[in-house]
Amino acid sequence: MLRGNLDRRYLLRVGAVSTAMSLSGWLGKLALAAEAKTIQPKRSCILLWMNGGPSTIDLFDLKPGHENGGPFTAIEAAPGLKISEHLPKLAKHGRHLAVLRGMSTREGDHARGTYLMRTGQLPGFAGIQYPSLGALFAKELGDPKSELPNFISIAPQRFFSQEAFGPGFLGPLYAPLIVGDNQFNNPPNANYEQLDAILKVQDLHRPATIDDATHAARLDLLRQVQDDFAATRPGAMAKSHAAAYDRAIRLMQSDAGQVFDLSEEKASTRDKYGRNLFGQGCLLARRLVECQVPFVEVTLGNWDTHANNFEQVKTLAGILDAAWAALMDDLQDRGLLATTTIVWMGEFGRTPKINPAKGRDHYPNAWSTVIAGGGLRGGQAVGKTSADGTTVEERPISTVDFLATVCCALGIDFEKQNMSNVGRPIRIVEKNAQPVTEVLA
Amino acid sequence: MVAGFRGVAAVFVAGCVTGLVMEPAPVGATEPLTPASGDAAQRLATRIDQILAKDWEERGILPTEVADDAEFLRRVYLDLIGRAPKASETRAFLSDRSPKKRAQLVEHLLQLPGHAAYFAEMTRWQWLPQTVNNFQLTGFGVQFERWLETQYRANTPADQVIRRILTLRLTANNQNPMFRFVLADPNEPDGPNIAGFYQAHENRPENLGAAVSRLFLGVKLECAQCHDHPFAPYTRDQFWQFAAFFADLNPLPALRPNFVGPIPPQAERNTLVIPNTDKKVIATFFDGSKPDWSLDRTPREELAEWLVNPQNPYFAVNMANRLWAHFFGIGLVDPVDEPGENNPPSHPELLAELGQAFAAHGFDNRFLIRAIILTKAYQLSSQWTHPGQADPRRFARMNLKSLTPAQLFDSLVAATGFREPAYLRNQRSFGFVQPNNPRSQFLARFANNERVTQTNTTILQALMLMNGQFIGDQTDLSKSEILAAVADMPGWTTQQRVTNLFLTALARPPRPEELEKFSSYVDRGGAKGDSKQALADVFWVLLNSPEFLFNH
Repeated sequence: MLRGNLDRRYLLRVGAVSTAMSLSGWLGKLALAAEAKTIQPKRSCILLWMNGGPSTIDLFDLKPGHENGGPFTAIEAAPGLKISEHLPKLAKHGRHLAVLRGMSTREGDHARGTYLMRTGQLPGFAGIQYPSLGALFAKELGDPKSELPNFISIAPQRFFSQEAFGPGFLGPLYAPLIVGDNQFNNPPNANYEQLDAILKVQDLHRPATIDDATHAARLDLLRQVQDDFAATRPGAMAKSHAAAYDRAIRLMQSDAGQVFDLSEEKASTRDKYGRNLFGQGCLLARRLVECQVPFVEVTLGNWDTHANNFEQVKTLAGILDAAWAALMDDLQDRGLLATTTIVWMGEFGRTPKINPAKGRDHYPNAWSTVIAGGGLRGGQAVGKTSADGTTVEERPISTVDFLATVCCALGIDFEKQNMSNVGRPIRIVEKNAQPVTEVLA
Repeated sequence: MVAGFRGVAAVFVAGCVTGLVMEPAPVGATEPLTPASGDAAQRLATRIDQILAKDWEERGILPTEVADDAEFLRRVYLDLIGRAPKASETRAFLSDRSPKKRAQLVEHLLQLPGHAAYFAEMTRWQWLPQTVNNFQLTGFGVQFERWLETQYRANTPADQVIRRILTLRLTANNQNPMFRFVLADPNEPDGPNIAGFYQAHENRPENLGAAVSRLFLGVKLECAQCHDHPFAPYTRDQFWQFAAFFADLNPLPALRPNFVGPIPPQAERNTLVIPNTDKKVIATFFDGSKPDWSLDRTPREELAEWLVNPQNPYFAVNMANRLWAHFFGIGLVDPVDEPGENNPPSHPELLAELGQAFAAHGFDNRFLIRAIILTKAYQLSSQWTHPGQADPRRFARMNLKSLTPAQLFDSLVAATGFREPAYLRNQRSFGFVQPNNPRSQFLARFANNERVTQTNTTILQALMLMNGQFIGDQTDLSKSEILAAVADMPGWTTQQRVTNLFLTALARPPRPEELEKFSSYVDRGGAKGDSKQALADVFWVLLNSPEFLFNH
């Protein structure tokens, strides 16, 4: 059993008091936050990133009966909230889901859309390197001294936009630890050994021939060499080198590295999440949140369904449904759902009109995202698209509105400023953002 | 002061290894390279230094010291052939007493096949980054890189290279809506390889127009694809007008049956409809001028004529600025492709003169490379001596540059003596990590597109360098050839062994205090009372040091 796990549960019991007090409303909660700071439980965010642009019209905003609707039917997830028939397990958690149906964003290109949704900004804007939301949130929620990195990215597919996964101007301290990089497939019938090998932190253990004393002596010499170099070349690159080594060494020396060993889990638990990379990635995300990692993201790819949309979406929904529902189950059982906010999104939605290849193309104009768990009032959909799905008729939500909403759910002041690489302070989310208060607890 | 101090170090080290591998070395920093006076490259170098010095004076900046021979050597190797020097190359250069050895080294490196290969690879990464990670496009990138390599080997002028790309005669097959293919005209020498440039841009006029404008003119028009550019004065119409020079890649509409009157010279080859609109635009340059359309010249030929013209105010400046950025890590305009009020050049006068000189010398890459390396600015140390050197855009000290993944791995090969079989070397990443291929693993782990002067080291990179199998093997006495040779060389003192590890890993001898510290560590046997293992520890430390990991 993990040491961090026990500490975590203990902390939660203590923290429960302050959480209960704050359920009355988010404004009250922010006001209370200052007093409650000392015993407030850690907040975490799990981002389920749908690479390629998920067909939200087939998942969370169905149009049954309309020619744009396709063959899928809707099932009830909560009173007044219907989602796809292919998400039956998730539907059981409907009371925790807040579906935002008025997403209307500006970029329909994979790279630019990815960058926009993950940073709140357009790429290359005035030479500023914007941080990924993972880096921004990790900075606010994380403990810089923690053994585990505060931003962990599981099986990311970064080919559309590497920058959208980086720490930008926040620097290397907030760079993600990536496990399962460069994975393009979600093998439906992989065995656990293969998946475990992918989800391990690579090179975490030193060669067996190097003992403790030798390792310590090497590190001591290395530190002196690093210091000598940085003394006459005092720029960010030398600092980044030292910071990365410090964090890597901390990870090697702690027991925390054990959290990545999924073989500690019961077979029945593993099966519940699904025997695939995304499923096991979600299980790993749960274990990381148990160890108080503030930001974890898990990627599910292959959503770029220009052809044969419905068959592909059905398959992907099966993978998504099992993993996401299991994650909600486990977080709830452990009392972590109230402090963990789950965000589901891709870079854009897909065209309501079905193309001749039975596919759907890129569509940022009207689509959906979902936020679930901590800090939210679930069981509802906010915003409304037209009968044909092409336009937002009620409560349009921009990228920055959306990101500000997630910040509020996590208790982050989204107007807080960080210093950028061009020497100008920049808010976590642009100041004209309007959080969707309807969904905030 | 610093130079004198280094001199002592060099003499001391030379004494250690005399009679084995190294002649007594000349002292520390030799003269910066000075070829025959009157040489055009030297004149340009002098002019560059004048402009930089004037700027320093106005700002009260004191430049740092000239780089010593070892620092210069490693930098030039990395910048020209893409790897750090081997120990033997370092020894030869440090012991060379010729006052012209820096200039001679540049000429030597420019002739090596490795120079053409490295510049071709670097150019492909800049021009066709989509072919580095996108496995569907990798093959096109590799083909194009092979052609570039022959161009760099022959030192084909930049204008001719780009004219060749733009005017390639080809047939577009655009029947497949998912992916378009082009076939180069069979009479075009190297046609299939050059066509890789078009394939990598999916043969779409908008992709090609955007790339050609950004890469060859330094003007990023993409933002204007969907809306008027937020900062620069480019409109959406201008974007599509420029893309229309590649309109021959689109399916051409048939003439309407009731068409009356003379067919325009280009028919529809120079015309595009802006997607999702009814608006039709005709190919037009940014400055609003248009070619005199004729029957015997295609739109792409017209574009090439205008684009690589020495009078074109964008082309020469952009190409010169990109070479400058290669050597200094940062362009005189930076980002290199976003001109405009928000991104003024650091030295406008210098930028203009570089462009003029490049054009005046027939876009000869090697001329500009020589001139840049000849400057005092390029030969400055990366060590700061004054806080005023902080701003990387004043070039008052050399910027630290991160190594590209390939530079890093090739430098590791040079430092460790790893015998990399040709098949492993040629097994490029292709967007996937090849198991059991250390090159492929390093290329993947160190891939990034941050700026070279602002690159972050990641936890996983640190773990790979500390614990990964490759460095593990190369610092294991039973597996590493260089380490074993240094440890077992009969008759060497500990100091000679340590010095040779420095030469092989860092391409310099240790400073006296380093020699003292590491030698005493080895003499006491490190942590385990085993002096050979302690040498392995020293090698491990040097390969993990920032000095190894950066171009400094």
